[in-house]
Amino acid sequence: MDSIRMVHVKLLAIDALSLTVHDNHSQSFSRKGKLISRIEVVGVVVSYERKDKYLSFLVDDGTGCIRCILWLNNQPDQFRLGVAAEMALEEAKAVQLGKLVRVRGKITMYKGMVQITVGDIFVERDPNAEILHWLDCIRLAKHCYDPPAGYLP
Amino acid sequence: MTTSAIKPGIPVILKELKPCSQFFKQGSSLRVTGRLQAYSADTAMAVIADADVSLKIDTQHLRDLNFRIGSSYQFIGELLILPDNNATLQARVGRNVDGIDLILYHQSLQLRRKYEAELTNSQQT
Repeated sequence: MDSIRMVHVKLLAIDALSLTVHDNHSQSFSRKGKLISRIEVVGVVVSYERKDKYLSFLVDDGTGCIRCILWLNNQPDQFRLGVAAEMALEEAKAVQLGKLVRVRGKITMYKGMVQITVGDIFVERDPNAEILHWLDCIRLAKHCYDPPAGYLP
Repeated sequence: MTTSAIKPGIPVILKELKPCSQFFKQGSSLRVTGRLQAYSADTAMAVIADADVSLKIDTQHLRDLNFRIGSSYQFIGELLILPDNNATLQARVGRNVDGIDLILYHQSLQLRRKYEAELTNSQQT
């Protein structure tokens, strides 16, 4: 049941935006009855907004636009979080309009909509990376993420 | 759930942009891919082509994109259809996609559409 809960599940935006939200003691998400907490999407940055504390941007993969938020206010704590803050600032610089990005992170909600709280961002230089991501999403959905035929949650 | 105000650019192949096509609608958000045939810095108009079909692209809103004739580009924007069925994509985002495997892209797009349709059907039942 929880086999994909802790991995980054590769999803198309149309799939990610239709996840089921469970508002019990702690917010959780499921896809076809399986709990998931982290996803990976690939798409083009079509808008972004930079504030002091965060960078918010929209990734368009052709099936939907998914909002991503990268927090920049990780305060250095005994040198431990300083590296994370520096990495977040570097990643924020890489996010530009028209760039093809691979975003991985935790699923969260914002104003009633699924968003990704960014763990890491990678700017793809190979335009074929997006095509391969589509094929990965389809293959993994059918052979790994979807419940077996006849399964009743 | 609410939806984002910015619509996704639905990927289409240039030859699908015929007046009878479901994608050929005023203001539809599309993603198009092709090789740059012509570009005018004065008017910011570009023409891309794929398999003998071409499309005009209005690039006036794009920044930091270098145009090279013969290179491949992908644009996301809204379709503007004039009364004579002459279409222009008003691009809001563009990128160079030199090295893209267009055959793989076209084939994968068909698979993806099929998957999307299956997903939508399963969500409705």
